[in-house]
Amino acid sequence: MNRANFIAQLRAGLSGLHQSDINDIIADYESHFADGLAAGRSEDEVAEALGDPARLARELRAEVGFKRWEQQRSAGNFVGVVLALVGLATIDIMFLLPILGVMLAVFFVIALACVGCVIAGAILLGNLIPGGWDLMMGNTALQTLTAIGLLSGGIGGGALLLMILDWVARALIQYARLHFRLFKSANESI
Amino acid sequence: MAESLQIQLKKGVLEMCVLALLSKGDNYAYDIASRMAEAVGMGEGTIYPLMRRMQNDGLVTTYLQESGSGPPRKYYKLTKAGATALKAQISDWVAFEIAVRKILGEVT
Repeated sequence: MNRANFIAQLRAGLSGLHQSDINDIIADYESHFADGLAAGRSEDEVAEALGDPARLARELRAEVGFKRWEQQRSAGNFVGVVLALVGLATIDIMFLLPILGVMLAVFFVIALACVGCVIAGAILLGNLIPGGWDLMMGNTALQTLTAIGLLSGGIGGGALLLMILDWVARALIQYARLHFRLFKSANESI
Repeated sequence: MAESLQIQLKKGVLEMCVLALLSKGDNYAYDIASRMAEAVGMGEGTIYPLMRRMQNDGLVTTYLQESGSGPPRKYYKLTKAGATALKAQISDWVAFEIAVRKILGEVT
């Protein structure tokens, strides 16, 4: 395999990542080729020593996905982490899917409950404004406290949920890194 | 079987070895990769995902430095956290090595 071939396969394996990440990675390998050629090796020798570009792309994709999640905990980046883990195939998908499925369902229900609390709190608060409908609850103090309780409960619960999601993602990442580094099939070079 | 044990052992200490190399001075990936390839038979390409992970974990940082020929080179530098991690990994490794040696000493 020559330089152009190697870079093309690497690039294909990285497709879908942010362009800046791809450029960064490709630049690393391009300069590796340049250094190798300067040291008197042939393109084929360097490519051979580098290893399988598709496998390297999977590892790099995982690292970039993990970093994106650490920088910004968005739904899209969470999907990126899960896809990267599946790509590494260190976590058996049959093992991962039921866990993720149950977890996402539970998270969804809790998230809905949090949103519900916030909405109910807001309605109760709005109801306090004089001139509107009759009070929903016996007296103003009781209704104010209930509204504030619902609002803070909903917001706090949501924040807690995000923290738990972050913790789960980190645990999965740690697990994947450990297993990827230690338990890949023995017939490949490290 | 023996080969698989050896590969797994090497993989486990890749990070420690790279940290140890960097503790002797800043270096660029090509040089680190050649040394590691020669010493433990690591695929040279593996250095880049590894460096990226260590950078994510805050163990190393990078900076660009002009090279005599061609474009500027990306150098890796050990951070304080990296130095701490290296110390911890060395003491783990030494304790492990002594324990294994002790057991092996009883059979050989």
